[in-house]
Formats: sequence, C-alpha cells, structure tokens
Amino acid sequence: MEINIKNIDPSQKEYIEIGCWRVNERVNEIVRFIKLRDGHVEAYKDEKQYRIALSDILYVEAVDDRCFIYLDNDCYESRRRLYEFEDMLPAENYLRISKQVLVNLMKIEQIRPALNGRFLCRLSNGEDVIVSRKYVPDMKEKLRGDRR
Amino acid sequence: MKDKLKNMLGNFFISVALINAAMLVLGLLLRPEQKFGYEVFMYPLIYGVIGTIPALITRDGKELSVKQTLVKNAVQMLMTVVLILAFMFGGHPVDRNLVVTAVSVAISVVIIYAGVVIIGWFLDKKAADQMNEDLTRFKNKQQDIYKPR
Repeated sequence: MEINIKNIDPSQKEYIEIGCWRVNERVNEIVRFIKLRDGHVEAYKDEKQYRIALSDILYVEAVDDRCFIYLDNDCYESRRRLYEFEDMLPAENYLRISKQVLVNLMKIEQIRPALNGRFLCRLSNGEDVIVSRKYVPDMKEKLRGDRR
Repeated sequence: MKDKLKNMLGNFFISVALINAAMLVLGLLLRPEQKFGYEVFMYPLIYGVIGTIPALITRDGKELSVKQTLVKNAVQMLMTVVLILAFMFGGHPVDRNLVVTAVSVAISVVIIYAGVVIIGWFLDKKAADQMNEDLTRFKNKQQDIYKPR
C-alpha cells in the first residue's frame, strides 16, 4: 500500500483520504485507528476546559451524577454520561468493567483476583480498578477475541 | 443476581465438602464412639444452606473496595457462626461439654469459611492467569493492526 502525505495550506481543513479497491476489514481497522487517534473529548479541570485525546484515557468513572476521566497523572471532569462514553469510545479498546467504570484495555498491565469472584486491573499508572463479577464474562470474551 | 446465585452455589458445594471433612475430624476428636443413621448425610447440606444465608441477606448495592469486601466477609462469617451455633445448640442447657463443642464448631466454621474464600481465590487466580495471557495476545494483536507495513 502506498502512503502519500501532502502539505496543505493552514487555511484548509485537514483531511485523510483512503484509496482502496473495496472497503474491507483492514480499511475499517485503519478508519477506527484514525478515529481513535483523532478523537477528542472536552473535559474540565479547575473551571478550565481541555481537549483530551481518547487514546490517552485510562478509564472513565461515574460517581453519582458526575463523570471523571482519568489519564496517567491527571483527572478531569466531563459533562457527558458514562453511557455516552460507551457509545463514543472505540469498542475495540474500551470495555465496561463495572456499573461505574469504563476502562481502556490497552492501559491494563496486569489482572489479579480480588475477593468474591471479582478481579483487579493494575493500570499503566499503577492504579487499580475493580472488575465486578457481572462484567467478568464480558472481559474474558473480549480478551479472547470472541467479542467485538 | 444471576452471577451472585452462581457464586453462592459454588460456595455452597465447597462448604458442604469442607463441612463433611470438619464433621469427620471433630467427631473423631470429641465423640469417636458416636453412631449415626442415614440422616447424618443431611447435616452438611443444612449447614451449607445456613452458611449461604448471610450472603443472601447482605446487599451488593455498590461496588466495594477490597478492604470493604474483607470487612463484609468477616461480618458474614460471624453471622454464619452465630446461625450455626443457634441451630445446633439453641435451647440446650449450657455446660462445660457444650462450651467445648461450641468452641470447636465455631473454630471449624471459621476454618471452613476461610477455606471457601481461599479455594475461590485460587480458582480466580487460575482465571486471572488465563486472562493475563489473553490480554498480552490482545494487546499484541491491536498493536500489530496499527503497525506500519
């Protein structure tokens, strides 16, 4: 596959074009990757607004009516609901692991048993998040590749 | 709820097996001369059911941390001890023999409860090891997809 990169005038809108014989799974994967790298979400910290790259998110947690986005060393608040994140984040890499938490699977370093059939995921920043019993089968399926 | 019931059923069968072992050891130590009828096979099942009652009545409303779960398990264990002692010795006159038997039973319940938790943990450890292998494969696959060729 040939890759062309063209410099354009800053006044023009940036774009990515894919030339292919037919849209197959490989093309879809490229599109998903671009969306993931290009995707941002607005979040707030100390009353300032920030744009967070989706690929930097470790996990999203809902606490009461509020939603928090956790990065390696930072935490931001979002006005979106957890179910909106579930729809927006690429399903390939993100998974609901409890009623409150949506995790980026690529940021999990290790999985350990917790008590009562639950599991603990150690994330790349050293934090632990709990996989509740109800979501364990989904996680097993997803990691085995049985679930998209 | 379905997962909770599945988990309770698993714990019930582990409890029944461990209660059988505890009855054997306690019986040999405290009353080796005792003879039983077939009804004795019913007791591990009854004690197993009693052991699952505390898990039934405690709610799982929100996700508990590991420390909170440990406290919850300890409370459930104490409830199980009280329920089993009440079932076995409720209404009996308290004498030295009863106290010795009750203490032995209470210790056995604690050992059985710990046994159930430990066996459950080892089963989960096996599942976690498999999940870690799958996770490594999953991450490699995802990275391969986006690797420039």
